[in-house]
Amino acid sequence: MTGLLATSLFWLAVTLGVFEAADTVSKRSGRHPLCHPVLWSTPVLIGLLLWTGTPYATYRDATFPLSFLLGPAVVGLAVPIWAERARIRRLAIPIALALTAGAVTSIVSAVGILSLFGAPREVLASIAPRAATTPVAMAVASQLGGIPALAAVIVLFAGVFGAMCATPLLNLLKVRDYRARGFAVGVAAHGIGSARAFQVDPTAGALASLGMALNAVMTAALLSLLAIFL
Amino acid sequence: MLRAIFLLLACQLAGETIHRLAGLALPGAVIGMVFLVGWLALVPRERPTLTAVTGWLTAHLAVMFVPAAVGLVDEGKALSGDGVGLVVATICSTLLTMVVTALVFRWALHRFAPPAQPAEAGEPAA
Repeated sequence: MTGLLATSLFWLAVTLGVFEAADTVSKRSGRHPLCHPVLWSTPVLIGLLLWTGTPYATYRDATFPLSFLLGPAVVGLAVPIWAERARIRRLAIPIALALTAGAVTSIVSAVGILSLFGAPREVLASIAPRAATTPVAMAVASQLGGIPALAAVIVLFAGVFGAMCATPLLNLLKVRDYRARGFAVGVAAHGIGSARAFQVDPTAGALASLGMALNAVMTAALLSLLAIFL
Repeated sequence: MLRAIFLLLACQLAGETIHRLAGLALPGAVIGMVFLVGWLALVPRERPTLTAVTGWLTAHLAVMFVPAAVGLVDEGKALSGDGVGLVVATICSTLLTMVVTALVFRWALHRFAPPAQPAEAGEPAA
């Protein structure tokens, strides 16, 4: 019986079950960012690991089939980029300038502020790819000597917070163009921000998905360049 | 369908190979994404199935990073030591990034881009 606690079958079933329950709550809430299913299924699963005395390494190996899908999913971000090619051509300069400015701001401000708190290098490396979508941020963080799990949670938190403050913040700035609004939300708050943008306006949603995909590439490229010089 | 899955894996494999050979910090999957953009542009035949497969993957992205997030169970030290700094830095960085991106986009739109199409520019409802 105890052998079952080390199998993929057990932990995949439990992970999907817990996630589906959290997803049902999220749906009922009208997809409120604070009800994001990862935010609630993660602590429940951590509780289950502690309760059953299962080491994380066992759980990680058992749920490898899920983690494996992250790679092909990242490759698949090519599709939203390609689908928006007409708009990319039309808005090439605003997109290029805003993307570069946003990616640099995100990296410099996150690492700069956190280093004021005297955080060690592995924690700084975990926050640097904050604006990239979760799987890219985890991969980049581990390349830079950071902690992938920490990167995942930082990105998640940034997405939830960004999605919640986007509408009031952009109203305050009097940015009325849905293209600028959507793109900024996608660059700053990746997938969770894009989901929020799609609720507000389809153009904002399309630009947010594009901003998310492009910033995944831009943040990864900038940090890889930086890694060469550090 | 199977061919679209193969294409995704082949692009990732090619990206991973370059990642290792060149010793780049750029993740193999991100290099693979660039290859797939090229493939989509050059080969029209696989576009519908690729769109279907990646649409499914993207729709279920959240559950795929749950196993990684659960890894926090072993990171109590980093969280308790740098928790406040992490929260402050993440909040400030997210706000600043959104402000800078929106303002630069709006400025460049007025400065360089042709006038907005009526369907795309309008007063925000929310």
